[in-house]
Amino acid sequence: MSGGGMTFGTRADQRRSRFLTYTGLILLAALFVAPVAWNFLYSLKSAAESASINVHLLPQHAQWGTYKQALTLIDFWQYLWNTLLIAVPYATLITITSALVGFGFARLRARGRSGLFVLMLATSMVPQILTVIPTYVLFTRIHLVNTRWPWVLWGLAASPFLAFLFRQFFASLPAELEDAAILDGCGWLRIFARIFLPLSKPVLATSFILSFTWVWGDFFTPEIFLNNDKTTLAVAMGNGYTDPVTDTPLSNVLAAGTMFYVLPVLIVFFLAQRSFVRGVATTGLKG
Amino acid sequence: MSDDAVSDNGALEAVPPRALAARGAAWTLQRGPRRWRRYSPWMFYAFVSPWLLGFLALTAIPMFYALGMSFTNFDGLSGHWHWVGFANYNKAWHDQHFWSGLRTTAVYGVVTVPLSLAGGLGLAVLVNRRLRAVGVFRTIFYLPSVIPVVATTLMFKLLFDRNTGLLNTVLSWFGVGAVGWLSDPWAFKIMVLLALWGLGGGMVIFLAGLQGIPAELLEAATVDGAGAWQRFRRITLPILSPVVFFQFVFATIASLQTVVQPLLLSPAVNSGAGGGFTDPTHVQAGDYLYMVHVYAQFFDYQQYGYGAALLWILFVVILVITAAILRSSSFWVYYEVEQDGKAGRR
Repeated sequence: MSGGGMTFGTRADQRRSRFLTYTGLILLAALFVAPVAWNFLYSLKSAAESASINVHLLPQHAQWGTYKQALTLIDFWQYLWNTLLIAVPYATLITITSALVGFGFARLRARGRSGLFVLMLATSMVPQILTVIPTYVLFTRIHLVNTRWPWVLWGLAASPFLAFLFRQFFASLPAELEDAAILDGCGWLRIFARIFLPLSKPVLATSFILSFTWVWGDFFTPEIFLNNDKTTLAVAMGNGYTDPVTDTPLSNVLAAGTMFYVLPVLIVFFLAQRSFVRGVATTGLKG
Repeated sequence: MSDDAVSDNGALEAVPPRALAARGAAWTLQRGPRRWRRYSPWMFYAFVSPWLLGFLALTAIPMFYALGMSFTNFDGLSGHWHWVGFANYNKAWHDQHFWSGLRTTAVYGVVTVPLSLAGGLGLAVLVNRRLRAVGVFRTIFYLPSVIPVVATTLMFKLLFDRNTGLLNTVLSWFGVGAVGWLSDPWAFKIMVLLALWGLGGGMVIFLAGLQGIPAELLEAATVDGAGAWQRFRRITLPILSPVVFFQFVFATIASLQTVVQPLLLSPAVNSGAGGGFTDPTHVQAGDYLYMVHVYAQFFDYQQYGYGAALLWILFVVILVITAAILRSSSFWVYYEVEQDGKAGRR
């Protein structure tokens, strides 16, 4: 179960158990990889082959041209730019505001602090989907729909989840950190910006990455808030690709587009694996 | 609260967090001569104001706006709306799609939440062993949970396509005819599988919990003759139970608001069979979750008042379920009190 030296038994027993474990792991891994692998193989098929009922596991003639089509049949770069225009300001703002809130809860005291903290944790449980549709109706009336302002506002509003992440980090630092600064007459905003923020670089990175990938993966919000000219890659992929002449769907090109869409997430994941894991593991919640 | 009390409390920051339990004592000790005046309580409110104002403006106000809307026949466009009292709630009571959506969502939650928690825990135990290349397996199991939902759903559609999908291709080698996996009666089961594909997210959290279990504890149990199952049941599971509990709460809430998967899994999407790609009327009956019905009211039928009523019903349902789960925690969640190494049941 856990720990290598704990299994009692003969050598043959151990070898057999290890063989069974590896067989199980490899089978499971194959199942987990299958959808991505199939998507990749599919992306290499020609339009004719992808539509044919006569299916082969491997593409008959690998067509890398689908990847070029994925970038040219729709305005891929425009959708990418739209995504960045929303995701970067949102992730930046929400990281700063959540750090401020987390700092307040960790290092400052006032009446009602613990009550507010419990309230904040409770609001992280309010289903996001319940507020996003009413917000859409409300924003239609004040003409914020089909603009990028909603993401700026959500960024300014901080996230209970990220604020909790920051609070846990700031609360773990020793009190001497600010004591000297206070004696020197340093204000709290400067203490926060000069002493605490530089120390929290790993948490800042985690927060930025989590909120950026959240926007990157979000389908529902841009789908209802933005028109086609401003919408993100996620919605573009949901729309799929069609043949410009016959107007039939091109699932092989969509498979290639999906690979392009997923790739940045995977790259960020491999570069910042620890950030992802910290985000989920220190709070016990999923970002 | 006077400023004196605040500065006294502020001075408490110097006490290590562990000792905060002995708060009363520390308070009287430090009460004597006042130290410096650290800050006014407004500083705290200034720092947390982004969340406080944001919560009011972007959560509370929209929610209550929706509550007001649920008592009207507002259609989102015309200004000609009027109050209709409880008519929308009454309509829900007699709406068969409301009940079927609620039932489908309940089954979806009851099936996916325990399965993905148990699966995540099982995988965590499996990859917590000291094996060669175990890191590769951890990554493979975790990866699908970070892939955006649009991409996972599209990949599933290719995998389970009736004519060109991998599953039907493999089945055809054994002489099995083509099965329409994305249509009823299979559609629901495929949606459940899609949820389970992401159970690696839970695995990582459980793995972090497993690695926090002191090895001496498990070794001592082994010496006392406890088998692998007994160790898991008596030591691992109780220690992990708070983690399982939080996962349970959040997975339940998440499962009840599922909407993108059924909308995109609809066979009409990207098939040229007409209908918008998020046209709820093309969602298979088995995938017609509660939120799909809500989505249809707003974006297909312009029945904003009714849609808002449905949202509030779901909100109350989620509130009740969450409260029930939280209340139940004292029966099965084991809290370790880190004092003098003693552990107690609370």
